[in-house]
Amino acid sequence: MTKEELLRSFLEDELLIDKNYLKKGEFEKYKWATPNNQKLIEVLKTAIEGQLSNESPLITEKKINQFLNKQT
Amino acid sequence: MILESIEISNFMCYAGYNKFDFTEGINVIIGDNGYGKSKLFDAFYWVMYNECFDTNKKKFQKSSLLKKLIISDKAINEIDEGLISASVILTFKNLDKGNVYILERKYSVKKLDGNLIEDIDSEEVVWQKDLHYLTAKEVIDSEQISRIKKTILPDNIKPYMWFQGEQVESIIDFNKTDTLTQAINVLSNITRYDHITEISENLKESTTKEFNKKQRDLSGDKEKSSSLELQRNETLIRLKELQKQELQIQDTKATAEEKSEQLLNKISDAQKIKEVEAKRRSIEKNLQETQEEFTEEQKLLHKKLFTNKWVLKGTENLFDKYGSLYNNYEQTKLKQELTKQARIESENQIMTELHARLPVDVPEPIHLENMLSNERCLVCDREAQIGSDAYLKIKELLDRSKTKVKTIESEDSNIHDFGADLRKLYQNGLGLSHIIKNIDDDIASTFRRLRKLDKKRKTLTEELKSIESAINSLIVDTALNVNQANDLLNQYSAQNELAKRAITQEYSTANDILKRKQELQQLDIELGKLVSGEIPAYLIDKLKVVEEFNTLAHSTRRRVFDSLVKILETEANQHYQLMTQGNMSARGIIKLKELNNGKNYMPELIDDKGNVLMQLNTGNIILIKLATIMAIISARQGSRDTDLYTLITDAPMSVFGEDYTIGFCKTVSNVYRQSIIMSKEFYKNMELRKQLLSNPEIKLGKVYLITPSIPENSRANRNQLSTNIQALN
Repeated sequence: MTKEELLRSFLEDELLIDKNYLKKGEFEKYKWATPNNQKLIEVLKTAIEGQLSNESPLITEKKINQFLNKQT
Repeated sequence: MILESIEISNFMCYAGYNKFDFTEGINVIIGDNGYGKSKLFDAFYWVMYNECFDTNKKKFQKSSLLKKLIISDKAINEIDEGLISASVILTFKNLDKGNVYILERKYSVKKLDGNLIEDIDSEEVVWQKDLHYLTAKEVIDSEQISRIKKTILPDNIKPYMWFQGEQVESIIDFNKTDTLTQAINVLSNITRYDHITEISENLKESTTKEFNKKQRDLSGDKEKSSSLELQRNETLIRLKELQKQELQIQDTKATAEEKSEQLLNKISDAQKIKEVEAKRRSIEKNLQETQEEFTEEQKLLHKKLFTNKWVLKGTENLFDKYGSLYNNYEQTKLKQELTKQARIESENQIMTELHARLPVDVPEPIHLENMLSNERCLVCDREAQIGSDAYLKIKELLDRSKTKVKTIESEDSNIHDFGADLRKLYQNGLGLSHIIKNIDDDIASTFRRLRKLDKKRKTLTEELKSIESAINSLIVDTALNVNQANDLLNQYSAQNELAKRAITQEYSTANDILKRKQELQQLDIELGKLVSGEIPAYLIDKLKVVEEFNTLAHSTRRRVFDSLVKILETEANQHYQLMTQGNMSARGIIKLKELNNGKNYMPELIDDKGNVLMQLNTGNIILIKLATIMAIISARQGSRDTDLYTLITDAPMSVFGEDYTIGFCKTVSNVYRQSIIMSKEFYKNMELRKQLLSNPEIKLGKVYLITPSIPENSRANRNQLSTNIQALN
């Protein structure tokens, strides 16, 4: 399973449409490199990358924390 | 990866050197029970895992425990002194990578002075060879050996690829929470979703803590905030405990419901057995009572000869005869009495007349006595010698004073009168004559009753036989005996009770959870009110993102898992339909039903309208399980590492009927690139064997027939036992 397939399996969720992160059917053509400024999707990508590279969960959590702690 | 061959030397019943070559498709080793099929399976397994399946203990045992049992008895027996080794060599060919792996396992014992010295453990040797080169290189590094073995058969695939028929039940044990999760893991790496969910959980927890700390720091009343925070933590701990408790209750409920449902399949059988058994007991009791009554009646039959006067049967004429004789007797007696009476009366009359002429005691007796002694009559003064008429007349006058008036009674005093006895006899006879008249009816009625009892006894015996036969049939059909049926009903009732209790507990725990959540909400509001400064926007945003991430991770994991279950279900159905094609009575669609705890799944067979088909028998369940095992493998097809592994299974078809054998072989040859099946089904059934060898829908590999070297009745002596191998194609 590629990281893109894994990401799409998450993006398929109704929650992302309900919360206006994505429009209906948009996940199908979603690419890993598709630019976005949605923090939730970035968090997801970090978690997926960590998983696929067999990174320690603690490091992944740290990376996500650092990303979300940015004050801007 | 294709398993090219197995070479077996002196391993268990395979004495000497033996070799099986295999190709792609389904390879079948045919042999009857006890002919060496399981030992062949052991040989494969032993090389890879240094263990053999102990059928008695139903588990695998290490070589270090089995020791000399690994070596052929014949091989041990044939040598007087020296080293005896058992070895098995597996040759795997990886055509895609151009590799050959040769794995050998060896175990030795030494015979010395009649004693057997056993090696502590077996030895393993692995060679790797490039297809283009002739020589192989021994692999020394244990980690590399382990990698090679995992390439041949990964650990997570192993249970579904190499198994004994009797293991099928436990490989897919739907009672175990993680069985389907494990299967899903083989199908797709669901653990990736699990790990991401775990990360989201940790992030949510740490961010919530961070947010709460910020709230506390910005509080206008730090003391109150601390106190509220403390309460909040306590409530949170309690909430977690309750949630854990809720899961346990749900588990208990799901397990109880699942068990009830499993039992439900057999409950009607058990109920039927119980009812029939109750009927049998009632008939048995009735029969016993009837038998006792019959025996008693038979005993009474002899007594009744006297108690019911049956002995008098046929004596009616005797009584009449006696009556007539008695009548005559009475009349004769009466006549005699009358005659006697007349005589006495006449005599008395004479005496009365005599008294009138000469009164009694005249002359006085003293004078008379004097006359007799003097032998002279003083009245007429004449001689009266003793014995003379005169003497006798004087004596008569003397005796006359003693003479009284005669009566008939005084007359009869010396005669024994049987009249009363004879009358009593007559009267007795008269009484009995009424009974005698009824004796025939009494006898007839008694015999009627006896016949009735005998008939009832025979009917009940027949009924008992028939009901016992019905019970035996039920026991055979349902594989339940009377005790098991009772246990099953008890278990069913206990599981139902447990499920009911769990539902009540679940309801109460859910209420508690709701209450705690409301408390938490209230505490959060109160804590929020105490905040005098402004919580940084990034932190509010961060909390929102991690909460959404957490929800998303849970929901995605759930959705992916469900879709994999669906794939598994679809694949399992395809295999099930193909396997059951040969049996017209088999029907239904497999449905993996999710249980209430959201973790366990139970297989159900449903009809085309969605109705659950009850009463799955063991054969059905094994077929469903085999279909699920195959589904796990077939659903992987197309992914990188599928169809690289060989299915090796011993007697997988033994539980279900021969109707399914060809369907099973077709399915296996479709699902697995290579399979090696040990089977007894083709041993005796030549028609089935012919189908196997000629059916174009079966991708057939090699077929072998194995037979023991010595007849079955001499097999107790294993010292001469070896196994003959005959290639059938």
